[in-house]
Amino acid sequence: MEQLSYFLAATVRMATPLLIAALGLAIAERAGMMNIGGEGVMLMGAFAAYAATRLLGSYWFGVLFAIVTSVMLITVFAVVTITYKAEQVVVGAAINMLGAGITSVVYRKLFYRAGEGISGMMVESFPSIPIPGLSRIPVLGPMLFDHNVIVYFGFFLVFVLWFIMRHTSLGLKIIACGEHPEAADSLGIHVIRVRYLTTLFSGVLMGISGAYLSIAQTNAFGEDMTGGKGYIALAVVILGKWSPLGILAGSAIFGGANALQMTVQNLGVGLPNNIIMMIPYVVTVLAVLAVSKKRVGAPSAQGVPYEKS
Amino acid sequence: MERMRQTLTSFWKPALAILVAIVISAVVLTVAGYDAWKAFEALWNATFRNLKSFGNTLNKASPLLFTGVAVAVSFRCNVFNIGTEGQFLMGAIAATCVGIVGKGLPGIVLVILMFLAGAAAGAAWGFLPGWLKARHGVSEVITTIMFNYIAMQFLGYLVRGPLRDTSQAEPQSFPIADQGFLHYIISGTRLHIGFFLGSILAIVMYLWLFRTYYGYEVRSVGFNATAARCGGVNVKRTMVQAMLMSGAIAGLGGAIELAGNAHYLFENLSPGYGYTAIAVSILASNNPIGVIFSALLFGFLNAGSTAMQRAADVSASFVNIFQGIVIVFVALAAISKKHSKGRAAKGGA
Repeated sequence: MEQLSYFLAATVRMATPLLIAALGLAIAERAGMMNIGGEGVMLMGAFAAYAATRLLGSYWFGVLFAIVTSVMLITVFAVVTITYKAEQVVVGAAINMLGAGITSVVYRKLFYRAGEGISGMMVESFPSIPIPGLSRIPVLGPMLFDHNVIVYFGFFLVFVLWFIMRHTSLGLKIIACGEHPEAADSLGIHVIRVRYLTTLFSGVLMGISGAYLSIAQTNAFGEDMTGGKGYIALAVVILGKWSPLGILAGSAIFGGANALQMTVQNLGVGLPNNIIMMIPYVVTVLAVLAVSKKRVGAPSAQGVPYEKS
Repeated sequence: MERMRQTLTSFWKPALAILVAIVISAVVLTVAGYDAWKAFEALWNATFRNLKSFGNTLNKASPLLFTGVAVAVSFRCNVFNIGTEGQFLMGAIAATCVGIVGKGLPGIVLVILMFLAGAAAGAAWGFLPGWLKARHGVSEVITTIMFNYIAMQFLGYLVRGPLRDTSQAEPQSFPIADQGFLHYIISGTRLHIGFFLGSILAIVMYLWLFRTYYGYEVRSVGFNATAARCGGVNVKRTMVQAMLMSGAIAGLGGAIELAGNAHYLFENLSPGYGYTAIAVSILASNNPIGVIFSALLFGFLNAGSTAMQRAADVSASFVNIFQGIVIVFVALAAISKKHSKGRAAKGGA
């Protein structure tokens, strides 16, 4: 029972960064974008959050700076791919390199001191805020109602975005830009503007997701600490069929795979660590494969630059 | 004459991108309070100090050349193989296993077997994502990236578990048999034949892509898959073949790195060669012969990055920023080319 409770709570904790990043990516993909640069953008957010928290002394500044820097980096992607119509996968790969390079260089310059222990590097992180009453429920309490603010924000976001995509004209406009930009344009929807706004919005969410890694889930930054989460978020989007509720379920599966990896490590099963560490990546491949059989289509014009004729 | 002009234009755009990247990084370094001049000087000297350092740079360029050509072949077919990193590692792993097991074999046989094993392992690691894409429509971008992580963990498992050389403090595998080492071709340097083999391979792949029927099919799929299908090309099979080819080249690169340079497996065998390879190939507009030159450039950067860290205290990851800037500007240049072509067509009509 205690193991189960631990496992479920860990699932939610591990799922949150994937959930928030995947929601952002999904909205941008719905509008016709294909951004594999999420890894670099999240890393940027993680570093900025840590740096601002450490230098300014409050994790709220951390989140704020994570958002600002992530949006700055993703703006490069947006300008080059939307306005200048460069190949999105290629520019995404460049964004990852920029993210990894910039964070590592600045981290070394500002904070890294050889021989200094980890204790001096820690910053104050978002505390858990148990919801009175609800958090006492066995199993469900620790799973859903005993987390930090960003986790609650993630849950909240799912329903907000679900509502927007499903029940507002804004949602329809976004989808139109990804399915048939020419038709959308003929109805007076400003395709370029919608693609810019959704891409920048995904930058905001990836910044928050990155901040979660460095100042909520842990309380320090490590070079390349995202460890592929930006890519796994892409898989979560596919698994969730581009819908916010689907993505909630998809991120729970990956969160579960990660939590399983941790639980198995804790239990001390005789498997070598490296084999256990493969679990999330193998699950990603299998999950994407499983969904592909049901023939759910990606947005038709995904990754195709829009050119007004 | 026309041909010469084309060759010239294919050179000045990447050259411009590199120049812009140098200027931007110099500005960034200066603003960040580093001595940019000292950093660039260290970078330059790391290659051109003497014959030994020059050989070292060619060795550093060798894995980038193989993975770069691998990326070029797949990108030409519009298959985004981001997985040359994993294919490179699987090639190195297979070569190591052969090199350890085949202790009794004569050198030349052992080396050839190691190369074959490396190419086969890389091809297998590239085949799976290719097949998943062709057969089930699974995005190769995601699967190849996941396969990179799986290969990395597999390597970690081998050097900590079954292949671990317990006489060493750090986790690493047993070395391959001595006769499997590639010879150093100039005395006083550690230069092996990897870069030259890679250059020959690049030329062969260029001829294959641009002068044979199969290469034409690959490029037609990359250019316009629907048109290729209408023209009778089996698009799915061509994509799988491109992934097989791409994986085999990357795997061969891994085997050569192992036989020529590393001689045993360890966890950081590849400092991201497969990812840098994307920059290498893009800079060369996915042209295998161009990849020879861009691999040299990035080999030069890689060789210099550690020297730069020592001399000017700039993190070796600075090279990542440089690469990112280069890719962005080359991608921009490629687009402006496409547009000017479009305009010409409209003007003619």
